[in-house]
Amino acid sequence: MRSANTLLRKIVRSSVLPFAAQHGMKKDLFPLSRTLSLSLCLKQDKSCEPSEKLDLDEWKKVMRSGLQEEVSETVSEPKELSSLAAARETLEMWRLAGRAVPENISEEQLKTFMECPSKSAKKKYLKYLHLKELYKKIDKRKMDEKRERRLEAQAQESKTDETKKSPFVCLWSSTMDRAYNWRAAQSMIFGQPLVFDMSYEKEMSVREVTNTVKQIVMSESSNRRSVDPFHIHFCNFKDDSLYHREFIKQYKEAWGKLLITVTDQCYTEIFPKDKLIYLTADSPKVMKTFDHNKIYIVGSMVDKSIKRGVSLARAKRLGLETAALPLEKYLLWSTGAKNLTLDQMMHILLTLKDTADWKKALEFVPKRKYCGFVDKPVKELKKTLDLINTLKLGKRREEVERQFAKNYPKK
Amino acid sequence: VQPPEKPLQAEEWNKLREDFQLPGIFEEVMLNSMIRCNSPIDVAKSLLTHLAKCNGDIAYTVLVKYLTLCVQQGQVSEICDVYDIMKVRFKTLESGAYNLLIKGLSSSDQWRMALTLLEEVKKSMIPSRTCYESCIKAASRHQEMKLAFELYNEMLAKDVVPTLDVLQSFFDFSRGMKGAELQKELFGILFYLRENQIYPHRTFMRSIKLWFESIPGENWRGRLTSIKDSGQCPVCNHQLEDSNLTEEEYSSLSERIIKDVIHGTDTFRKTTPKEFEAFQTFVEDRLPFDIVIDGLNVSHIKSRRMQCENLLDAVNCLAKENARLLVLGRKHMLINSSNWKREIMKEMQNKADFFFAENISEDDAFLLYATLRSGKHCRFVTRDFLRDHKACLPDALTRHLFRKWQRGHQIVVFPSAEGRSINFLPAFRYDCVVQTTGDTWHIPYKNVFEEKYSYQVPRKWLCIQQK
Repeated sequence: MRSANTLLRKIVRSSVLPFAAQHGMKKDLFPLSRTLSLSLCLKQDKSCEPSEKLDLDEWKKVMRSGLQEEVSETVSEPKELSSLAAARETLEMWRLAGRAVPENISEEQLKTFMECPSKSAKKKYLKYLHLKELYKKIDKRKMDEKRERRLEAQAQESKTDETKKSPFVCLWSSTMDRAYNWRAAQSMIFGQPLVFDMSYEKEMSVREVTNTVKQIVMSESSNRRSVDPFHIHFCNFKDDSLYHREFIKQYKEAWGKLLITVTDQCYTEIFPKDKLIYLTADSPKVMKTFDHNKIYIVGSMVDKSIKRGVSLARAKRLGLETAALPLEKYLLWSTGAKNLTLDQMMHILLTLKDTADWKKALEFVPKRKYCGFVDKPVKELKKTLDLINTLKLGKRREEVERQFAKNYPKK
Repeated sequence: VQPPEKPLQAEEWNKLREDFQLPGIFEEVMLNSMIRCNSPIDVAKSLLTHLAKCNGDIAYTVLVKYLTLCVQQGQVSEICDVYDIMKVRFKTLESGAYNLLIKGLSSSDQWRMALTLLEEVKKSMIPSRTCYESCIKAASRHQEMKLAFELYNEMLAKDVVPTLDVLQSFFDFSRGMKGAELQKELFGILFYLRENQIYPHRTFMRSIKLWFESIPGENWRGRLTSIKDSGQCPVCNHQLEDSNLTEEEYSSLSERIIKDVIHGTDTFRKTTPKEFEAFQTFVEDRLPFDIVIDGLNVSHIKSRRMQCENLLDAVNCLAKENARLLVLGRKHMLINSSNWKREIMKEMQNKADFFFAENISEDDAFLLYATLRSGKHCRFVTRDFLRDHKACLPDALTRHLFRKWQRGHQIVVFPSAEGRSINFLPAFRYDCVVQTTGDTWHIPYKNVFEEKYSYQVPRKWLCIQQK
């Protein structure tokens, strides 16, 4: 073993193939040489005595000696810590222990952290902050790289110094915005109303509300960009509610200029009852076609914990007609809940309104939730679906194989 | 990565690090694999020495990993050294290190130090149950039963749930000891099992049996048995407690069911106020029922047969004893269809009362209400485990009541292998919890390997009598 190793080294060192050794061969030799060197270490101990005796407890001396000065400092400081400072200490220790903890934490976040009712809630909250911080960092790094690239490109251009002439008029975003707003303004007068029911604040946690508002902002922007926008209504909207505060946080000064109707009235006070349809996944009725004369209501709610039947209960209480999207009719559903996010809902409704094509509209359902569109008789598809599921979940392998053999006989 | 078998010199560690793909986490990966392979402690020491020489400091994570290795091998002096170093280097420690220190020290002769550490942990957080477990075991190993029980009661007061292991250790270490105080505390543990409907597993049960039999001068004798359906113990002919609730428990459970399960946050979620009122008057007019049937659940017993025929079979079976039946269903059962034939429905309505809820209402909640309103003798028939309804109840006490009531009043139906007949699993006549009469104890236990859901109860019992 040893001789082989030395031989190997000799070959590499002997510069027979210096170039190859540096580049090509290194890759091939690397794993080999690693095992060899390891075994060498192990062997060495048995064969020849180490030159010096190892002092195994030296690390303790180092740790203690390096701390002598620090000790004198720590003794003098006051023992009692405020609860905030103590929480900070705990976090710092957790960070050292390699848990998912953010590096910087604000006073406000620290207070939220201390108010968490249980250990697991604390862990979850910290992990959330940690991930948020991580994404922020990554984004910042990407932005910096982009800026550098742009500067380089500019430097390149200034060298070439040629003015490009484009046959097209450059459409600036402000021009686009104006066009969109013009459309939105038209929809405020002539457009089909679409109601967001803002009465779910009590059922949601703070984080769920912020998520809801983010989804609504996305829906509103996609509505504004569409060919024929809805006239959006926010009903049951209470001033100075959590929703309101979050919207102002998201839109800032644009909140006052949005071309939508915001009201604290209920939709039943504004529109005739027989025209309203409440969209909810729990509804027993399935939507067949999109009706241009009806007013659809979407409940603005994100439920991270399952709250079945909350929006259906609202519709029942007011005696409104309800409807669910025909997901099962058109899609081969595989996993996930059938409640969609608000922006997905918006995309689907806009597409239905413009094209009345279910297949096109349901493109906006996340791909992970279904295996494909229904175009064959469902029975055949069920088999495929079961097969996909078993393959995905890795259960009942033999059975799957048998099934597979039955479905696809050898020729 | 394979850890080396002997301590290495600094340059050898360097070499290994260079050969490793991710040098940044080399020492952590190395220590993890040492823990996995249970390497000699000297190897880890040599790595720490190398790190200390290189950086003049050792990271907290590395210290914790080294500590894990020491605890794994019971190196007490090393654990103390690491603790001293950590104490000086860091103002506070986090729960992971504390857990390790307490675990390591409590199993040595330095166990008193673990107790002082536990006190330290209490200043900043609620200690984990493993911390308590280590300290309690240490105290009872050294026959300090009083101290062990103090810790145990403190743990319960802080809502930290004890492991079955801890409870078992109490019985193991008290074997052969005398003392009224001790006996009272151990009976307290048995009552804790009773209150929380916990079933000990086989080895735990054995510990309990041996403890009872070892009490000097009391002549306890334990035997394993299974209880008859009548609720009689075949060993001592003692009749077990019946599964009925007290009047007080009944009314509080009914109230909770109405408040939390049926109404919840919004009555419209499961029914409507109008419908519930109609149902209440319907029930009041016809009280009391003997058996309430979940029509839709029973109608699905055999998939090959028509749903209404399944229901008819069940109703016929149950109506024989001249019982007053109530069948709960939904309105769609009234529409003549391939599964619901009108004439068969008519025939059934002569034998039982029917209430049809709206198609989007929950019929289970009505089932619970009607059964509870009818009183103690009333049973209900469904294959449902009622887990979702139990989950609606807010506090553990009511949930336990609900389970007890369910065990005593639910008749489970299942199809027989062939033919038309349907089999019924009758409701339990006796209550399946740890129970005592003073000179006898009856303790249900489970095999370690069998999975137990909260709606399943063990069939095996330990019967202990005093001769």
